[in-house]
Amino acid sequence: MTATRADRIGLLVLPGLAYLGLIYALPLFLLLLKSFRDATGAFSVAEFVQIFGDPLQRSIMARTLRVAFLVTLLALVIAWPTAIVMRRAKGGWLSLFLVAMILPMSLGVVVKAFAWSILFRTNGFINQAMMALGLTDAPVRLLFTETALVIGAANVFLPFMVLPIYAVLQQQDPNLPDAAATLGAGPYQRFFKVILPLALPGVVAGCAFVFSMAVSMYVIPSLIIGERQQTVAMQIARSFLFLRNEQLGSSLSTILLLIAVSVVLGSSWLAARLGARQ
Amino acid sequence: MLNRPAHEQRAASPAMTDERYLDVVAVRKSFKGVTVMDGMNFRVARGELVSLLGPSGCGKTTLLRIVAGLMQADDGSVILAGRNISSLPPHKRNISVVFQNYALFPHLSVAENVAFGLRARGMSKADAVQPVREALALVRMQDFADRSIGGLSGGQQQRIAVARALVVRPDLLLLDEPFSALDRKLRETMQVELKSLLRDRGITGIFVTHDQEEAMGVSDRIAVMNAGRIEQFADPSTLYASPATPFVMDFVGLSTRLSGRVTGQEGARVVVETALGTLRAPGGLATGTPVLIGVRPELIRLEGGAGMNRVDLVLEDVAILGSKTMLQGRPDGGDRLLCELAGIRNGKARGDAISFHWAVEDTLIYDASAEVTT
Ligand SMILES: Nc1ncnc2c1ncn2[C@@H]1O[C@H](COP(=O)(O)OP(=O)(O)OP(=O)(O)O)[C@@H](O)[C@H]1O
Ligand SMILES: [Mg+2]
Repeated sequence: MTATRADRIGLLVLPGLAYLGLIYALPLFLLLLKSFRDATGAFSVAEFVQIFGDPLQRSIMARTLRVAFLVTLLALVIAWPTAIVMRRAKGGWLSLFLVAMILPMSLGVVVKAFAWSILFRTNGFINQAMMALGLTDAPVRLLFTETALVIGAANVFLPFMVLPIYAVLQQQDPNLPDAAATLGAGPYQRFFKVILPLALPGVVAGCAFVFSMAVSMYVIPSLIIGERQQTVAMQIARSFLFLRNEQLGSSLSTILLLIAVSVVLGSSWLAARLGARQ
Repeated sequence: MLNRPAHEQRAASPAMTDERYLDVVAVRKSFKGVTVMDGMNFRVARGELVSLLGPSGCGKTTLLRIVAGLMQADDGSVILAGRNISSLPPHKRNISVVFQNYALFPHLSVAENVAFGLRARGMSKADAVQPVREALALVRMQDFADRSIGGLSGGQQQRIAVARALVVRPDLLLLDEPFSALDRKLRETMQVELKSLLRDRGITGIFVTHDQEEAMGVSDRIAVMNAGRIEQFADPSTLYASPATPFVMDFVGLSTRLSGRVTGQEGARVVVETALGTLRAPGGLATGTPVLIGVRPELIRLEGGAGMNRVDLVLEDVAILGSKTMLQGRPDGGDRLLCELAGIRNGKARGDAISFHWAVEDTLIYDASAEVTT
């Protein structure tokens, strides 16, 4: 009885699966297929060999991974204290935080990117502040640099780091750190032995979100550093739109996809392992 | 607080630190301007198991948290074994706490939970194995060492929490309603186990509960708390037989209460006029004083002799509870009167006219003019 009912409830996923399959998986599959073919349509990995042999492509890939890593790190460093404060906030304050996290998501990246360019300009706010504080004598070039990209991207992806961490912290029994304290654990031990391990699934999920988004971001780097310093996603767009090199584009897409998939699978494996004992 | 002479305040002799093993002195605490505790004094002797009994919100948890260092008092001090620990953080106090929801670490196994305190104190993993095994054996959970916390029942989690708290050999053990989530049977077993466990090891403990039977069963002394104050601090039998205030009388055990006014004095007895007639109680109070008369249901009999208090009324309810029978009467517009008789008593029914008798010495009397809240 219950089994058939569960079976029938299972049917509810069909529309979702069909939608994803048609709109998402099928074109992706075709793209993947293309990347393993040469111009004549025969199976070949020549394109990959060529990409990995090209120093320019290698440096673009290295930059993409480096930027994604730094974005994830920066987002994590900012998100952790934010999530801790949100965990303690109540009522109106909590709503304010949640709105502050979610509202910017509805603001287009283009608008935000232009807003930052005001901050990052040579005579912009950041430079003026740094000079006023005596941190630097002459204005530092920020716009069109990797630093600006990392800061800007971390800002855009911050909610995707804060929300999963907030969610796990919020579920944590507030008595646990107190219990640890009465058992003789000082602040450091409480953090590393209790608070952090319990929050780790959320941290892993947040990092996976942010990393996979940062590694494949296109709009943000195009607006902040432009063509000067390419990322893999920009290369993909370029090869399809300007170079008309579908071989290169699809192969780069495959590489990006593999990175994203391995991050997602790796992190869910890690999260499952971490969560298994709880 | 009385001003004690300076030489006495130093509390040098061992006997004295034994008497005042834990000394909570003039502790004040308020939350956002609302005073929860206004000059609390509380003293526990070494090796004693004391209960904090009181209604919800009276400040029991607040007091425990202040003693454990999890909460800072606004004023006053906490002294443990002659040492002022008021400004020590919780991890330096060596006071273990068993939390109401157990607060076991969900990411650690049973053995790792128990080992937590030892490891936090710098003991190596290998050295912790033996004491952890002993602690688990103590609560009869040795077979569960490698289990994860998630799969344990409430009673098992409770035992682990006790083992975790005891394995570090605390100077003081605080238990905040540790059995409230357990069913009645298990609760009673755990009460007996805990009591002997603490007694055998000479551990001083404070046990918070709002269940008066649990408090009476478990502890050497009971502090009855009400609205951030201790109303009475005494051993269970004193508390029951001579409650210091109407609040204690009501909170500890069932009781019947009648209000009246003093009309005279007969030697060591006061004569009180109530809606149900003239009653007598031991003591001396000025004529005209409004008073509250109380009597324990099991001290009431259905027949009595001369010189006993007597009240005539109509039975409102008869409840046969097996080991006892409860008779309840409510005279016209009056308070409820309860009589408890041992065993099963048939032959009495709702609507019967009946009289309750009890000895003058068993009558509790309180000056109601001093009573602000009842
Ligand atoms: N962190 C806090 N902020 C504000 N008020 C608090 C806080 N902690 C306790 N209180 C208030 O202090 C009073 C005493 O609370 P406490 O938790 O000590 O009561 P309790 O006797 O343990 O009650 P219970 O039996 O329900 O556990 C209550 O009125 C409570 O609302
Ligand atoms: Mg409480």
